[in-house]
Amino acid sequence: MKEPHILSAFDRDLEAVQAHVLRMGGLVEQALLDAAEALETRDEALAQKVQAGDKAIDALEEQINEECARLLALRAPAAGDLRTVLSVMRIAAALERSGDYAKNLAKRSLVLSNMSPLGGTSSSILRMARTVVLRLKEALDAYIAHDVAVAQDVRLRDKEVDQMYNSLFRELLTHMMEDPRNIGAAMHLHFIAKNIERVGDHATSIAEQVIYLSTGDMPADERPKAELISGTDTAAGR
Amino acid sequence: MDDMRLVERTVEQLQSKIEAKGVQVYYGEKHALKDVDVAILDRTVTAFIGPSGCGKSTFLRCLNRMNDTVASARVMGSIRIDGEDIYDARVDPVQLRAKVGMVFQKPNPFPKSIYENVAYGPKIHGLAANKAELDSIVEASLRKAALWNEVKDRLDATGTGLSGGQQQRLCIARAIATSPEVLLMDEPCSALDPIATAQVEELIDELRSQFSVVIVTHSMQQAARVSQKTAFFHLGSLVEYGETGQIFTNPKDPRTEAYITGRIG
Repeated sequence: MKEPHILSAFDRDLEAVQAHVLRMGGLVEQALLDAAEALETRDEALAQKVQAGDKAIDALEEQINEECARLLALRAPAAGDLRTVLSVMRIAAALERSGDYAKNLAKRSLVLSNMSPLGGTSSSILRMARTVVLRLKEALDAYIAHDVAVAQDVRLRDKEVDQMYNSLFRELLTHMMEDPRNIGAAMHLHFIAKNIERVGDHATSIAEQVIYLSTGDMPADERPKAELISGTDTAAGR
Repeated sequence: MDDMRLVERTVEQLQSKIEAKGVQVYYGEKHALKDVDVAILDRTVTAFIGPSGCGKSTFLRCLNRMNDTVASARVMGSIRIDGEDIYDARVDPVQLRAKVGMVFQKPNPFPKSIYENVAYGPKIHGLAANKAELDSIVEASLRKAALWNEVKDRLDATGTGLSGGQQQRLCIARAIATSPEVLLMDEPCSALDPIATAQVEELIDELRSQFSVVIVTHSMQQAARVSQKTAFFHLGSLVEYGETGQIFTNPKDPRTEAYITGRIG
C-alpha cells in the first residue's frame, strides 16, 4: 500500500469515499441477486424490497459525487490521488446504473409473476445474474487490492456473460415462435436478460477503472466479444 | 488527431534553448547538485519543483552564473545556451545576465524612480541610443509586464512605493528591459497575494511567446498552472522531467508521486 499523506485528513477523506463505493457495491450485488431470486421464486415481497432499496443506492451515489467534488476543490489531488477520485466517480456511476437494472428486473418480475413460466428461462436468468454479480464482486475486490491481473481477467471473461445472453435470446425466440401468447412474457424476459448483460459491461468498465487507477492508462486492446446471432443482428445489436 | 491535441502539449516540437549535461555543484564539502542532465525548451515555461534543499534554486542559479558570486561554490559539467558554453572563460557573466534575466522571491526594486528601475539595464548595456529610444524600451517593458496602465502617470515616483504585486511586476519589467532570451524566476509569487499572483502568472504565460521561462516554485498548483514542462528535484538529483500534465496525472517515478501527492517521500 501507499505511504500515508503528511496531512492525514486527506487520507481519511479518500478512504471515506472509497468505503462508500464498496457499500454501494454490496447493495447493488444484493439487489441483483434478490431481484433474480424474486423472478425465479415469484416472490413479490422480495421484488418490492429490491424496488424500494434502489433509493439507498441512488443516495449513496449522490453522496459520493458530492464528496468527490469537495475533495477536488479542497485537496487538489494529483497523480494517483487524482485517479482515485476520478475512478471512484466512474465506478459509482456504473454501480448506480446497475442498481437501476436490478430495480427494473424486480419491476418486471412482478408483471411476470402473473404469467405462465417459459420453460427454464427464469432459472437461466438467475444463473446469469449470479455470474454477473460474481464478476462485479471480483472487479470491486480488484479495485480494493489494486490488482491489475484480476481486473484483466474480469474484462476478458465478460464474453461468458455475452454467451449466456445469446443462448437465452435463442431460447426466448423459440418460445415466441412456438406460441405467440408467449411473446409478452418473452419480451419482459428478454429485457431482463439484456439488462443483466449490461451489468456485465458495467463490471467490465469497473475493471477498466482498476487498470486506469493502477497504471494511469486505460486498456488499449479491444476486449473479446461474443459473436452476434446470425440473422437477428438488429434485435441483439450492441 | 495531432491538431486536436491541447496547445500545452505541443511544446515537444520546440527546440531546446538550454542544454545541461552532468552538472555538479558543491558548496564547500556539500554536494548540492548531482549530475543533472536536462534540456530546457525555447518559448516554454519550465517549472522546477522539489522540497527545500533539493537543488532546484542551485540549478536555476547555475543558468546565469549567479553561483559565481558564492565563494565556496564550485560548478562542474556543461551548460549550453543556444549551443554556447556559458562557463567558457570568454563569456562575460554581466553580458550573460543581460541575456538570462532573473526575478527573485522578494520584489527588490532599486530605491529609484519607476522609470529608472526599468531604464537601468538598457542604459548600462548601451541598448538605447537616445532618450526617445530609452523611453520606448521603458514603456514596452512596462506594458509587457502588465504594469504600464497603473504607473504611466507616475513614472517619476519611487519604485519602492508600489504595492508588493506591482513591485514584482516592476522587477519583471526591469528583467525583460534588456531583451533577455531566458527569464529565470525564483519563487516570484511567494510574497504576493492571490490576485497579484494570478496577474504574474498571466504575465508568465504571455512572456512564453518570446522567452524561455524557468520558474522555481514551492506551490505545486502554480507549477501545474503556468508550466508546460516540470522538473522534480530531490536530494540534489533531477528525479523526473516531463510534460506538466503527465507529471501531475501519471508520474513515472514513485518519489515524484510521493512528493506531488503530499506523502512522506
